[in-house]
Amino acid sequence: MAKFKVSKVKAKAKNGVCTVQMLFSHPMITYNQAKKKTGNPDDANFITYITGKVNSELVFEISTSQFLSKNPIIKTKFKSSDFKSGDKLEVVAVDRKGRVAKKSKKIKGL
Amino acid sequence: MERRKFLSLTAGIFAMALVPNTMKAEDFRKLKPNAWTATKVDAAIQALYGRTDMIEKGVFIKAAKIAASGARVKLKFGSKVPAKSVALLQDVNPESTVAVFSVTKYDLMDYQLNIKMAKSGTVTVVAEGLDGNLYVARHKMKVAAGGCEG
Repeated sequence: MAKFKVSKVKAKAKNGVCTVQMLFSHPMITYNQAKKKTGNPDDANFITYITGKVNSELVFEISTSQFLSKNPIIKTKFKSSDFKSGDKLEVVAVDRKGRVAKKSKKIKGL
Repeated sequence: MERRKFLSLTAGIFAMALVPNTMKAEDFRKLKPNAWTATKVDAAIQALYGRTDMIEKGVFIKAAKIAASGARVKLKFGSKVPAKSVALLQDVNPESTVAVFSVTKYDLMDYQLNIKMAKSGTVTVVAEGLDGNLYVARHKMKVAAGGCEG
């Protein structure tokens, strides 16, 4: 099994806007790639669902498919004026085989 | 008796009216499984939102005209109109839907991600506005080397 983790999370707040940059480690195998390699398209595996939470409040939510690049980088922005210093952003990603990867990081600049 | 019935009924209606307003997690893979197997952009939009009439306004895509490698095509996109969800689709890979972002009350709808593209084609971003309309933007781009490996 190829490894799967949330490699890096950067969260920086400025003027009430928090910019998040996430790097995931995942091979993101499409159905066609799996068929070529093992003959079984069901061996395809990719990140399907990513959420970000601050203080158990949902700030972003993404349903993804096999067409994200290998080891995808995702950037997004959210309003951070409601959060206070020391709050953490928790990123949770789930892949097609049900594996879960998590990482939480303190938001800078709040 | 009558009054009691009336009260419980109104309470029920109120509870039902409150449910859609609360922010809850929406996994579009479980919610709309057909959207992820659709092979045409229009069919995918139909599966996601149940309609395909769209307005070309309010949605933006920022990307290079020519991508060096199809394995990593950088896209910046988002919506300026208030929306419930933003979907990213393309027309060259075996299936159309790439990602669906459901918009929370904190979300500023400004995204950037890397996608795979088999060959040159068109990227489509659809936003489902809070007013019920669908807003769309399309971006034609060339890919120098395909990255989907078949």
